[in-house]
Amino acid sequence: MVTASLKRKLVQLAASELGVVGALAVAVALFYLIEPAFLSARNVRAMLTVVSFVGIVAIGQVVLLICGEFDLSVGSVAGLASVVCATLMASFSLPVPLAVLAGLATGALLGAVNGLVVVRLRIPAFIQTLGMLFIGQGLIQVVTKGYPVYPLPDIVGAVGQARVFLGLGWSFVVFALAALASDFILRRTVGGRNLYATGGNAEVARLVGINTVRYKLAAFTLVGLLSAAAGMFVMADLGSGATSIGTGWELTVIAGVVVGGVSLFGGVGSMAAGLVGMLLLQVVQSGLVIIGVSANWQQIAVGVIMVTAVGLDVLRRRLFVQAEGGLTDER
Amino acid sequence: MNAEIRPAIEARAIVKAFAGVRVLRGVNLQVLRGEIHALLGQNGAGKSTLVKVFNGVHASGTFEGEILLDGAPVRFASPADARRQGVCYVPQEIEVLPALSVAENIFAGHTAPGGGLLVDRRTLRDRATQLLAELGLAIDPRALVGGLDSACRHLIMIARAISARPRVIMLDEPTASLPSAEVERLLGVLMRLRSAGASIVYISHRLPEIMSLCDRATILKDGAVQAIVERADFSQERFIRAMSGRTIQRVYPCPAPPRDAHPVLEARNLSVKSAFGAHRGIERVDLDVRPGEIVGLTGMLGSGRTEILSALYGVIPHTGVIRIAGRKVKIRTPADARAAGIALLTEDRKHTGLLFNLSIRANVTIGALSSLSRWGVVQKRAESAAVGGALAGLGLKAHSLRQTPVTLSGGNQQKLLMARVRLRAPRILLLDEPTKGVDATTRHEIYRHMLEWAANGAALIVVASELDEIIAIAHRCVVVADGRIVDSFIRGEGGEDRVLRSSARALAAAGCVA
Repeated sequence: MVTASLKRKLVQLAASELGVVGALAVAVALFYLIEPAFLSARNVRAMLTVVSFVGIVAIGQVVLLICGEFDLSVGSVAGLASVVCATLMASFSLPVPLAVLAGLATGALLGAVNGLVVVRLRIPAFIQTLGMLFIGQGLIQVVTKGYPVYPLPDIVGAVGQARVFLGLGWSFVVFALAALASDFILRRTVGGRNLYATGGNAEVARLVGINTVRYKLAAFTLVGLLSAAAGMFVMADLGSGATSIGTGWELTVIAGVVVGGVSLFGGVGSMAAGLVGMLLLQVVQSGLVIIGVSANWQQIAVGVIMVTAVGLDVLRRRLFVQAEGGLTDER
Repeated sequence: MNAEIRPAIEARAIVKAFAGVRVLRGVNLQVLRGEIHALLGQNGAGKSTLVKVFNGVHASGTFEGEILLDGAPVRFASPADARRQGVCYVPQEIEVLPALSVAENIFAGHTAPGGGLLVDRRTLRDRATQLLAELGLAIDPRALVGGLDSACRHLIMIARAISARPRVIMLDEPTASLPSAEVERLLGVLMRLRSAGASIVYISHRLPEIMSLCDRATILKDGAVQAIVERADFSQERFIRAMSGRTIQRVYPCPAPPRDAHPVLEARNLSVKSAFGAHRGIERVDLDVRPGEIVGLTGMLGSGRTEILSALYGVIPHTGVIRIAGRKVKIRTPADARAAGIALLTEDRKHTGLLFNLSIRANVTIGALSSLSRWGVVQKRAESAAVGGALAGLGLKAHSLRQTPVTLSGGNQQKLLMARVRLRAPRILLLDEPTKGVDATTRHEIYRHMLEWAANGAALIVVASELDEIIAIAHRCVVVADGRIVDSFIRGEGGEDRVLRSSARALAAAGCVA
């Protein structure tokens, strides 16, 4: 049957990494046709700036998803790291570089704690990182007593407002460099291959001599570190240690990278496609604003896209399993 | 036998294949009413597959042939379907619901006897109490199954099967995990069920049990019926001869026996504590392997063969001393074992062998990438060359080395894993069922490669259920039973019958048999 094979091909295309680039092109074209201002330099810059914040977090999340775990606490960790940094600068007059280091250390520490609990105590990542989400939220309130931390030293605002590359800020530069580096690491290095092996089947990875514990710990720590960096970039952008920094990032990030074809079940996906997924989600959200759709419908769109994305992930898995040649279950 | 006795359940010309490998090749089996029918055969002979066909585990339509219940053809869509029609099955692996009570486990799936939605705990408990009393078991029906030992769990599964008052009950190795007192009790229960008119199919490796309990025996060999023995003709000798009857005439090239060299691997007092649900224990195993030597680890399923390999490879924690080339090494993880030059070819390719998210090429090189990389970056050319070298002569059939191994046949998947092992050129090779789920041609190729490895100086330890084949290629066979090494003989000193006899003797001595 021609239609059946065509349908199968279309399904495979829709489920492949190529699909997300196509979807992005379609979405961009559609919004541009409805409202040409969508592709104005200002709006593109605004979109890329938002993507650069959550994108930095997404880089860590992709690495973590590929090695078979995930982190729901990224938003809280980002928020906590930035208010810790802000408080050290504003209330304790610590030099800016030291305060930034302390913020990064906070993120890395919380990430490492997540990793240790998941790997050593075998508590599911869902539970541990959901717990850390609440713990982080609480600690933000403890550190700030509920008020935004400001004024911050002038240099912080200057870094936040600096335009270094095509009118984009430092956050975008860091995001782009980290994206390129991590894509290379995942694609080409021994460590990258071992991460895929760990996420594909941790037992097999262990049997071929890979220290899966170390890889998972490193990935969790990396997510914490990058979340902290992203949170502090937002802080610089706002010029204030706002208590709301990072709120809702966990779902935005997971939805985005899953749209890009990174599997929630580990071992499948690529950095490039995951980040394109992040961009697609941002394009849809921003496009709906530009064409004047009410905020309620934007939320609905995000929800639909998330479900569609997971649906595609499941579909991909089913195709994957269907192809499996029914190895004997005979003993 | 009078004409009134007709089969309660009958299989006609059953053919069942897995991924093109025929496991049952036209099997006929008749089980009479009120009879305990033994199903015998070596591991892999097709016993478990046959009872699964009988019970809808392999649903109607996935096999060829016909099943008749009381003379009428039946089709079972699922085990639940078979159960409704009066055919029950107690599998070898224990499948209980640990978070539920004994009573709830016994009646799982039909906890509301009236067909309503509510669970009537008191009725359940009363019926469970009655049933357990019938079986002569002193188990509190309110106890949580999770807190019971494996023998109790197995007895509960049997109670569950009996609770439906089936016409036919099939038990797959029911006594494997039972201490002797419970075995006797179980045998008593089965005899009572028989006198009540039930038909029982009984799979066991324990011949004395079968001698005392069963009325007839069907012996399978390589997926076909080898013999049907009436009770009057029962003898252990007869069973062993039928099970080991040589049907495959295959000549293996006979390599020169290894020189009287120093062992490359010496294990002393190797012991493993049993972990319930994960693996059994092994006790004080001493094992030497010389370079170029093939040692066959033989024994029944669950005898501890696999655990010896797992311990040597650092998969499960062990005590005892391991020396590699005379030097004492500590093997706590697979990484330690690999560093010492040990490689493992796993039995379960799907779950502990292949990475389906990676390409065939990456599957071959995984774990050995550091030698193919510079500054941590994988050198593509070096990788391709290494994969080509590792696959050379294996005859792996794939469209492209960039595809995932998902669509490969069992034999080709095994070749991929052999290439992975070969890439590292290990000194010591542990092979767990290297020919499992593999067709005859590939099987022969695999044996040829094993001989080649040995000829190149590697030491091989092979676990295989195909006794005649492993005996034909191993220089030395070691018989494992009940977690210990109970016999050992060099090529020509013994055959399958020796393995079966040593196992049976060891099990009898261990008091496992009524």
